[in-house]
Amino acid sequence: MTANKRSNGDHVGELLSGYIDGELTQQQRQRVELHCEACTECKVELAELRALRGEVGNARLSEFGEDVWREKMNDPTVQVSRGIGWLLFLGGILIAAGIGIYEFIVDSSIEPWVKFLFAAIYGGLALLFLSVLRQRLIERKTDKYEDVEI
Amino acid sequence: MRQELAQLGGGAHALAIQILGNVDDAADAVHDAFETALSRPDAYDAAKGPLKPWFLRVVRNRCIDMLRRRRGDAVPVDSLIDARATPDEALITAQRAFAIKRALATIPSDQREIVVLRDYLDLSYAEIADVLRIAPGTVMSRLHRARLALKEALNTDDS
Repeated sequence: MTANKRSNGDHVGELLSGYIDGELTQQQRQRVELHCEACTECKVELAELRALRGEVGNARLSEFGEDVWREKMNDPTVQVSRGIGWLLFLGGILIAAGIGIYEFIVDSSIEPWVKFLFAAIYGGLALLFLSVLRQRLIERKTDKYEDVEI
Repeated sequence: MRQELAQLGGGAHALAIQILGNVDDAADAVHDAFETALSRPDAYDAAKGPLKPWFLRVVRNRCIDMLRRRRGDAVPVDSLIDARATPDEALITAQRAFAIKRALATIPSDQREIVVLRDYLDLSYAEIADVLRIAPGTVMSRLHRARLALKEALNTDDS
């Protein structure tokens, strides 16, 4: 059996792909290089796979450029629908919370000290949330990249 | 983040076309992925890796959802080829690009994906494994099989 006509088991196979992608260990790389010096079949295949990789890389598989995606991201319909979504979501939460608080306050079956305890817990949580929110908003306002439009 | 996402749009669209087989559906998938990424920016953790493979995974998941809704992943071969591009385009490179698109359309979807992720989007094997949710050790063999299939398809097309 000559070096050029080895059985499939002797060829380096998938290592050729790893070689052109630079994903092999030094030992594997040396193995491929030594093999290709002696095996024309693998040498040709290596060249073909490398060319193929280049061709796929250069093929324009999407006709949409960066500008198109930038416009799509800034699409007013998306902006408006997102705004409405947030408005509905937050509005719903506020109304539900308001009703809950009202029911809790007017409920005569709950002892006043229990009401006070729950008011302290939830009031504290609300204050913590508002302070974090305020901090985030201040950070956002002072973000020097905020006005950079893409 | 918006800037980076806009730059990734073209590549993500190319990947989505290979999965969905339709240019417009692919654009919708990328658009949905943009919305996901922008509405939940915390979902991306920079400490876990670059944005590119993460965003491509979001796009791929979206495409898979769309395929499930279609109930089947059969992609008509012709739909993968952009009708606007014709072999009559003057440049040889354009003809070759057309041949690549046509050959890609004839190989299985999973093979198209992996070839596009590596050769078009230039992802490393580790990133490909992350996007496809497969073991890193299987990337090389899968990719090699896909490249051989693509080469075969090109040769058949040429002859």
